[in-house]
Amino acid sequence: MKNTYKRAAMAALVAWSLGLSAAHADELTVGVQLPMTGTLARVGSGMQEGIIVAAEVFNKANGKHKIKLISVDDESAPAKAIAAVEKLASQGALAITGGYGSNNIAPASDAAGKLGLVYVTSGGVDDSLVNSGHKNFFRINNTAGYQKAMVGLLADMNIKSVSVIYSTKEATTGLAKDLEKALSAKGVKVVGHAFDPALTDFKPIINKIKLRDKSEAIAMVGYENDYVGILRAARVLKPAVKAMVGVWSLATPKMAADFPDLMPNVYGTAVLPFPAEFKTADGKSFNEAYRRLYKKEPDYLGQFGYVQSMLLFEALARAADKGTLKKDGVAEEMRKTDRETLIGHVRFGSNGDNPNFTHRMGQHQAGKVVIVWPKDAATGTIKFPGVPW
Amino acid sequence: MTELILQALYSGLLQGGSYALIALGLALVFGAMKVINLAHGELVLLSAYIAYSVESGLGWNPVFAIPVSLVVVCLASVMVYLVVGRIKKDREINSLILTYGIGVILTNAILLIWKADVRSTGSSWLQEAFVVGPLYSMRGEVLFFVVSLAMIVGLWWWLSRSWYGRAVRAVSSNRNAAMLMGINPGYTELVSFVVAGILAAVAGVALFSYGVISPAYGNVLTVKAFIITVLAGIGSIPGVLIGAVLLGVAEALTVTLASSALQELAGMGLFLVVLFVMPNGLFGANGRRG
Repeated sequence: MKNTYKRAAMAALVAWSLGLSAAHADELTVGVQLPMTGTLARVGSGMQEGIIVAAEVFNKANGKHKIKLISVDDESAPAKAIAAVEKLASQGALAITGGYGSNNIAPASDAAGKLGLVYVTSGGVDDSLVNSGHKNFFRINNTAGYQKAMVGLLADMNIKSVSVIYSTKEATTGLAKDLEKALSAKGVKVVGHAFDPALTDFKPIINKIKLRDKSEAIAMVGYENDYVGILRAARVLKPAVKAMVGVWSLATPKMAADFPDLMPNVYGTAVLPFPAEFKTADGKSFNEAYRRLYKKEPDYLGQFGYVQSMLLFEALARAADKGTLKKDGVAEEMRKTDRETLIGHVRFGSNGDNPNFTHRMGQHQAGKVVIVWPKDAATGTIKFPGVPW
Repeated sequence: MTELILQALYSGLLQGGSYALIALGLALVFGAMKVINLAHGELVLLSAYIAYSVESGLGWNPVFAIPVSLVVVCLASVMVYLVVGRIKKDREINSLILTYGIGVILTNAILLIWKADVRSTGSSWLQEAFVVGPLYSMRGEVLFFVVSLAMIVGLWWWLSRSWYGRAVRAVSSNRNAAMLMGINPGYTELVSFVVAGILAAVAGVALFSYGVISPAYGNVLTVKAFIITVLAGIGSIPGVLIGAVLLGVAEALTVTLASSALQELAGMGLFLVVLFVMPNGLFGANGRRG
């Protein structure tokens, strides 16, 4: 009698588990590998917001496929990034979205490649990422896009001499070197000032620019904490420059809100103005979901995280429809991507890079971010010369 | 060139004052208990985030956060002591591992409470330029340089003149002999942790007032404080100031005369040279005896 009950219970359990798997047959599991702690925690959590919004928007719009996100914190460390990817794969992830910092992305994407998983990111601009021959690696942004925007703005300003202050981290050094080369090719006098990421007092550098370089503009290639230090030192020493131009993480609503004294007239790369104006249906869906989930203005990290993930989710859905999920179908579908997104047109080249990536330049004006370059995308008038002091 | 070097020396001096304030608490506990408190940087950071909360929540100048920071950071410091104080064997090594773990817990607690965003003061008064001839600085830097000097003098006076200060030194020199003299070593060590908490609280408010903070920054502060403590020589409070100023000036001169990319290397180079020539640090016990 006991055995009969046991057999019945087992049968019920098997039936239940079969039913469960059938009910979840359309669930596509995506791994999220991001730095949620450590030095990159700020950017990691920003990108994660975009990824979660992408899953929310996708699931709302798609009845057939549902995205299930599973996340692992890589603690801003390359070894942990590899472990994170391996853990996500063991939990059934079909592809990986996330990654921040080229030094973390390189080993993580390598691990994903070995496991046959597609890896998509917007957190690493080092060109070695796309030149290492990985067939499953995709990224939506690159150094060239940031460099084009900065050079374009400085050229339009007719700036003749630039001091480039850059962090010695891999991505920032790469961009600064490319920027120096491009500006020099245009006949602009360039002086480079590399700084250790641990530097907190920028007055000696700014003083060198003020007394020795006497440049017309300062280009900053670093991160939020670096910009605050540089701008603070510049406000104290007041070098005779016409513009303070930065790159990522600068022309953002967060910087405008947190450092209102330091930001006026400062330029930085930007996708959208602030307050954000979303004209497309995709943009409106993103904006609505982001504000609902996070009760704040969307920022560039969220936008990039959203775009990379949405493209991946769409590729996964197409591969699932064709039954090629397990046969390199996801990478194949990613390569077929060719559409307008929140950050512009995205199409992946044979190396997984997005050759169409170009950025815009925004300027902090009265607590807002106004797009001032290129002219055809401008949402306001440039204030030039213009510095925060 | 003269102007550049003068500014570098001035910036280095102010930076040194800031480093000294951060290192004092670690130096005190290291000197008194032979405990390397690797959570010291996180305690400084905790105070800095309290200053941020007071400024952003109440709209007050961060300087007014000092009383709140004192209470919270001293309590946290006492909790660190209560854990570290339980170590009976191989205190130096075991406390190193234990306080490292406490530092990790504090970093993640800060991350959970205040998120990963970078923070700094919005006070215009603290950020305004303070100009003396060709020398430029922020008001906040000068204010807290003076505070740092006052804290160093105060700590030196406390250690050399007050009963508790002398008790701390006695326990540091010979724990058993101090007990025979009627000193309760446990209580004395607790007092030294409370004083270290006071120093960390002031250092944190200072840091928020002229620097930029993020949750991962505590580790950097601890390393810097440890370098200065060893550079100064264990137990030397004036040595902390001199070591910190030397480090600050060496870094600023490197940025001015060579490259800012070499700043950390210059600091470490100075540290290694001093230890090579004077293994007990600039003002270490053997040096003083000599």
